[in-house]
Amino acid sequence: MRRFKLPPQILRLVLLTLAIVGSYLIARAFLTPASFGEFGWYRGEALVELRSRPPVYAGKQACDECHSDQLQKLAKFEHQTLSCEACHGVSREHADNPDVLPVKLTGSHCIRCHEANPSRPKWFKQIVVRDHYSGKCTECHVPHQPSQTP
Amino acid sequence: MTNEMTNIVVEVLPRFEGYVYPNEASLHPLWGFLIVLYPYITGLVAGAFIMASLVRVFKVRALEPVYRLSLLTSFSFLLCATLPLLFHLGHPERCFEIMMTPHLTSPMAIFGFVYAWYLMAVLLLELWFDYRQDLVEWAKVTPGFKGIIYRAFTVGVTDESPPAVALDMKMGRILSVVGIPSAFLLHGYVGFIFGSIKANPWWGNGLTPIIFILSAIVSGIALCVFNYMVLTWIRRHTVDMRCLDTMAMFLFYALVVDAAVEGLDWLHRGFAAEEGFSVMQIMIREKLFYTLNLGQVTIGTLLPLLLLGPLQLLRRRVPELVRRRMIFSSAVMILIGVLAMRWNVVIGGQLFSKSLRGVMGYKLEFAGVEGWWLGVVLLSLPFIILTVLVKLFLSERLPSSGHIPQDSAAGEG
Repeated sequence: MRRFKLPPQILRLVLLTLAIVGSYLIARAFLTPASFGEFGWYRGEALVELRSRPPVYAGKQACDECHSDQLQKLAKFEHQTLSCEACHGVSREHADNPDVLPVKLTGSHCIRCHEANPSRPKWFKQIVVRDHYSGKCTECHVPHQPSQTP
Repeated sequence: MTNEMTNIVVEVLPRFEGYVYPNEASLHPLWGFLIVLYPYITGLVAGAFIMASLVRVFKVRALEPVYRLSLLTSFSFLLCATLPLLFHLGHPERCFEIMMTPHLTSPMAIFGFVYAWYLMAVLLLELWFDYRQDLVEWAKVTPGFKGIIYRAFTVGVTDESPPAVALDMKMGRILSVVGIPSAFLLHGYVGFIFGSIKANPWWGNGLTPIIFILSAIVSGIALCVFNYMVLTWIRRHTVDMRCLDTMAMFLFYALVVDAAVEGLDWLHRGFAAEEGFSVMQIMIREKLFYTLNLGQVTIGTLLPLLLLGPLQLLRRRVPELVRRRMIFSSAVMILIGVLAMRWNVVIGGQLFSKSLRGVMGYKLEFAGVEGWWLGVVLLSLPFIILTVLVKLFLSERLPSSGHIPQDSAAGEG
C-alpha cells in the first residue's frame, strides 16, 4: 500500500498557518490586559482606575455652608433647580480651601440652555442669539433672579 | 468661549428643519465621507473577485486576459478596505486591540472574522496557488531585490512537476468556488450592518444586503473594465475586443438585475408607505436630489443601460473605437453612480431625525478627517498598490507559465 504523503505546497501552507496562528496566540497572551474579561468585555482594572480619580465637583451642600444667603435667594426663582457649579465651574478645591477660587466660566453657559431649539418645550424661554443682542447676558438679566432686571 | 459657543449654535441650527432630537443636533452626522468609502471599497473587492471567478468557476474563456488583473485589483482594494474605518475611528495605534480580543456578540466586531477569512483564507491563497509555478520560474531568472521578493513568495516550495501544478490548479478552483459565497459574505455583511438597523427606515430593510451585493458586482466589473482599458492604454497594447465585449455583456446583465432589484425595493417602499415614507420623499426630492436622481439613477444606472443595452444587440454594426469609448464611459459612470449610491445610503440614513419629523444637513468639507481630500487619498491608495502589484506580478518582461485558469481538470487528466 502506498503511504499518503502531503504535497509539498500544502505541507508548507499548513506549517505557515500554524506559525501565523501560533504567533497570534503568543501575541494575544502578551497583549491582552490581565484583568480583561473579569466582569465583562472590558478591562476590569478600568473600574478601579476610574474610581481612583479625585472628584472635582463639591456639590450644592458644600456651597450652602458659606453661601447660604445666595442659595436662599436662588431658591425663590426659576433657576432654583440648577447646580451652582453648572455656572460657576468646578469648585471642589475651592470648597476645601476658600483661598483657591473656582474655575471661572465666561458668559456662554446661558445659551447652552436658552438658545432656541425646536426640541425644547414652548414654555421654556429661548432666544436666537444672532437676532437677540451681542453684548453680555448679565447687562440685562440677573442670573440668580432671572425674572428681575439689574 | 462665548464666540466659540455662539458660532457653533449659529452654524448648526440653520441646517435643521422640523423636529430634531437634541442628540441629533450635532454639526456633522456621526458617519461621514469615510464611512461612505468603506462599503464602496469592499464592494469593489467583492465585485472584482466575482469577475475573476467568472473565468475560474464559470469557465468564461473570453475573460482570461483580465483574470489575474481582477484578482490583483480585488487584493489591492482589500488591503485598503479597513483604512477608512481606521481613519474614521482615530487612534490607529489601537487597531490591533480589536484583533486581540475578538468576540461574536457584536455585528460590528464580526467584520474582523469576515475580513481575515476573505484576505487570508480566500484571496491570498487563490493568488498564491495561481502564481506559484510562475513565482518559482521568476525567482530563478530575476536577480536582485525583485528576485528576493519572488523567492520569499514561493515559501520555499519549488516543485514544478505536472502533478504539483495540477494540484495548484485544483486548489485554485476549490478556493474560487469557496470564494464566491465568501465575496457575497464580505459585502452582504456590510449590507447586513445597515439592513439590520431596525430604527432607521432608510436602512432597515431585508433587501439591503442583496442590493449591496448586486451593486458590488456591478461596480467590481466596472472597475475591472476601467483598469483593463487603462492598463492596455498605458502599455500601448490593443484591447482584446472579445474580452471587452464579454465584460460589457456581464456588466450590462449585472446592471439590469441590480436596477431591477433596486427598483423593486422602491416600489415596495412606495406601496407599503410605512410611517417613514414621507420623510424619505423629502430625502428624494430635496436632501439627496442630486446624488440620488442624478448620480445614482441617471449617471449610475440609466445612461450605462442606454449605452450598454444597444451594444448587446448591435455589437457588429458599431465600430470598435466607438464600442470601446461607450464601454469605458459606461464603466466610469457606473463607478461614479455606485459611489453616489453608497453616499445616499450612508449619509441619507443620517439626514433625517429619528422622530421622522425633521431633517438635518451635511456639508462635505475639504480638509480634516472626514474631508473629501482624505477620501481622494484613500481612494488613490489601492491604485498605487495595484500599480506596484502589476509591475511585480503582471510584468511583460517575465515569462508566464501560460496555464489556463479555468482548465483545472486538464492538468490532472
